[in-house]
Amino acid sequence: MSLLVEKLNVHYGKSHVIFDLDLSMADSEVLTLLGRNGAGKTTSLLGILGLVPGTSGTVSIAGSDVSALPTYRRSQAGLAYVPSGARCFPNLTVLENLDIAAQRRSSSNGAAPARWNKERVFELFPALAELKANLAGGLSGGERQMLAVGRALMSNPKVILMDEPTEGLAPVIVQSIGRLVQQLKQTGVGILLAEQNHQMALKVADRAAFMEKGRIVEEMPATQAVNSEVLHRILGV
Amino acid sequence: MDVGNLVLFFLAGLSIAAVLFIVTAGLSLVFGALRVINMAHGSLYMIGAFVSWFVIVHLANALFGFWAALLVAPLITAIIGAVVEIFVLKPVYGKEHLLQLLGTYALTLIFAGLVRKVFGADVRSISAPAALNSSVPIFGHGFSVYQLFLIAVAVLVAAGLYLLLNRTGLGRNIRAAISDPQLLSTTGVNVTRLFTIVFMIGTALAGLGGVLVSPTSSVDPGMDSNVLINAFAISVIGGLGSLVGSLVGAVIVGLILSFGFAYPPTAHYAIAFVFAAMVIVLTIRPWGLFGRAEQ
Repeated sequence: MSLLVEKLNVHYGKSHVIFDLDLSMADSEVLTLLGRNGAGKTTSLLGILGLVPGTSGTVSIAGSDVSALPTYRRSQAGLAYVPSGARCFPNLTVLENLDIAAQRRSSSNGAAPARWNKERVFELFPALAELKANLAGGLSGGERQMLAVGRALMSNPKVILMDEPTEGLAPVIVQSIGRLVQQLKQTGVGILLAEQNHQMALKVADRAAFMEKGRIVEEMPATQAVNSEVLHRILGV
Repeated sequence: MDVGNLVLFFLAGLSIAAVLFIVTAGLSLVFGALRVINMAHGSLYMIGAFVSWFVIVHLANALFGFWAALLVAPLITAIIGAVVEIFVLKPVYGKEHLLQLLGTYALTLIFAGLVRKVFGADVRSISAPAALNSSVPIFGHGFSVYQLFLIAVAVLVAAGLYLLLNRTGLGRNIRAAISDPQLLSTTGVNVTRLFTIVFMIGTALAGLGGVLVSPTSSVDPGMDSNVLINAFAISVIGGLGSLVGSLVGAVIVGLILSFGFAYPPTAHYAIAFVFAAMVIVLTIRPWGLFGRAEQ
């Protein structure tokens, strides 16, 4: 089990925004979280990361309960995050953006699915190797997305949370992100993929969970979700 | 006024700038990473100066006293900084700025009271260490070796901060925290502890400034607000959060003060000139010469 979430509830002040979220992901499983804007996908990821204060419930990474731990300890336990908009540290170089995630990774929780280092990240993304010394703030959207994924990999994660990695990117790049997700799956890492682009997501995912108003309302194998009635009803497509 | 005088006032201005830069760099570093304006920064400078006086007068002989103070005072102000950051600032991060201002302003009152209680309201003076307590001829005038020493220390501090920020893992993490502390925590960095460390570096610089200034000015309970006003003026001129800005702002303010005080007709207005410069910069570039406009 790479990620187990039980009864995750998130409150923003007085408003209850995520209700009893349950998720379980096997090793090297890709689970896509689908839903319209405002359905609670991003907030669910933030809750799993421990980045929103009013959160309750259980989060386990590779079998260890991290519910009581702050965000940086969850990261050390094997949780990596690729935020929406491919957020990077714009005032740091590409190399520094990668180095920052390489420090203090824990080796205590068993062997990580794959050992990542800068060389392997540059093998995966040869374009980044050329830009090593550039500031991340000057990269294109696609390059920043590679960097955000590379940074996530540098921490040797057991599970990666990806928040709409295809948002605002050209169709060619969307395709390459789809291939990338499949490639990463091969290395044994679990991927929780929050997406609006259901076509790409259902192509690469093993399972799909549909969110509406802060709740998971349907969960099914990805193949079954393609062209399903649920897809039409919930995403309006 | 001949060339020799001009050079002398220029150097004197740089020596004023030296201390102001060290103090402002601490204020600016803390603001850059923590987004907190530490009103108590001047108090830590004052505490640095009083610790310096205490070490020199009571704990060590005159030869080692100053050098011991140079180590001990920044250490003490760094420890006070850690306590302040953990118990006063941590609870109010992410809340409105007013709470941070009020919290650190309350500290200035507490520290001012404590200093008066412990040391009394007397004005004290310290002489420069024997090794530096002389003058060298420059253009036929004598110039204090200690003031040259101040300039040299400021250059070392500037270089040290540059190397720390740009050549070390800690510095890289600090720069990352300046742009996105939340993202930094998701990469496995303990941002909570990083903030404490940054605040300690900032308050250590305030303490260092206090030690360095103590042989050149009186050590008294009013020095906290005096330096804070200058540090704010420098921050506004140079741009809060920018080290280069602190450096350039400190040099501008140091030179204005030095040349302002040099002529009897302007001496009364020297401090007003600093604020005139501040107003001009605020009008043309509200975020300061080297600051970045808030998005």
